Amino acid sequence: MRSSSRLGDTAIAAVTVVALGSGVWLLGGGAVSHAPPQPAAAEGRFDPGDERGAAPALPPSPPVRIRIPAIRVNAPLTGLALTRAGNLDAPPAKEKNLAGWYEAGTTPGETGTAIVAGHVDNTEGPAVFYDLGALKRGARIEVDRRDGTVAVFTVDAVEVYSARNFPDEKVYGAAPRPELRVITCGGGYSRTTGYQGNVVVFAHLTGSR
Amino acid sequence: MRRTARLLAGTALAVAAAAPAHAAGSGRLDVYPSTVAPGGQVSVNTAVCGDSGAATGDAGAVGAGQFTLAPSTHEGEAIGQFRVPPSAQPGTYEIVARCAEGDRQVTGDLVVALSAAYEQVQPRGSVKTGVGGGLGPDPVQTAAGVAALAVAAAGGTWLLHRRARGDGI
Repeated sequence: MRSSSRLGDTAIAAVTVVALGSGVWLLGGGAVSHAPPQPAAAEGRFDPGDERGAAPALPPSPPVRIRIPAIRVNAPLTGLALTRAGNLDAPPAKEKNLAGWYEAGTTPGETGTAIVAGHVDNTEGPAVFYDLGALKRGARIEVDRRDGTVAVFTVDAVEVYSARNFPDEKVYGAAPRPELRVITCGGGYSRTTGYQGNVVVFAHLTGSR
Repeated sequence: MRRTARLLAGTALAVAAAAPAHAAGSGRLDVYPSTVAPGGQVSVNTAVCGDSGAATGDAGAVGAGQFTLAPSTHEGEAIGQFRVPPSAQPGTYEIVARCAEGDRQVTGDLVVALSAAYEQVQPRGSVKTGVGGGLGPDPVQTAAGVAALAVAAAGGTWLLHRRARGDGI
């Protein structure tokens, strides 16, 4: 009787210690969770030569707004420049519903590679492209342009690239048809160095109005 | 010396002549892109012609002739396009637009550069577009943590209770 009760006490003590430890770990955020969505492997598969619905190029005209209905994005666009190191600058972080486009590059709809970037989050919480990683192939992206036309793009692939080994040519390189890249932060997250890479959406022009 | 003086005087005169003309222009013609290779397409827009104001554009300086600026849906701007002839020489050219109503006129500069010399600079590397502020605690994880702490509290209380009763461990 006495020894079984002692056994019970030891078991309870062990459970208490384990519960205390895991409780502290879970509440202390030992594992970063509830992160922005990341694309599934299938979304990264390009279909080379997929020219379905490729639309003729539009004349150059600066973009003013981007809409991605599938992830409820509807945001104005500001002009972006390069940092001294040659990276694309990001739009002001404190405006959470604002995206930017690379002003010295191609305008969306024109032949070539147009680049749009926006924040996944800021210090306050989720921002304009929080759900970008959840976008699927075939989704529609619309860009309102200053000349009153709307360039309509179709998503070809969604991929995540590490910042340490970023495929510059694949993401920013010139294209022979009107293409669009939409970029935000993604990949793993570390408390010391932040997000480890970028989510990149590849799309091509399939219409205009 | 004398030559320099004359040159300076000439420049001063030119500046004096140009200044009032510029001031009278009020408003400007946006040229996009502002630098283009021969054969490239150019968009121009201006808001000076009012909400429904069309305009006539003149890109004769660069050899593209006249074109029309039509009113657009965007903030009452008139917008027009033309193509720079493939034979255009590098240089800075003045593009002019005259409103269809009234006699307002705006100008903007277009730089033509040889395609070899004018290459778009591509960005490189990743883009810093997040700080982690969107990473909230997972509600399921929070609930599990609270439950675990509750179990620990119950266990601790039980053990302390036993000890206080002198049953000892």
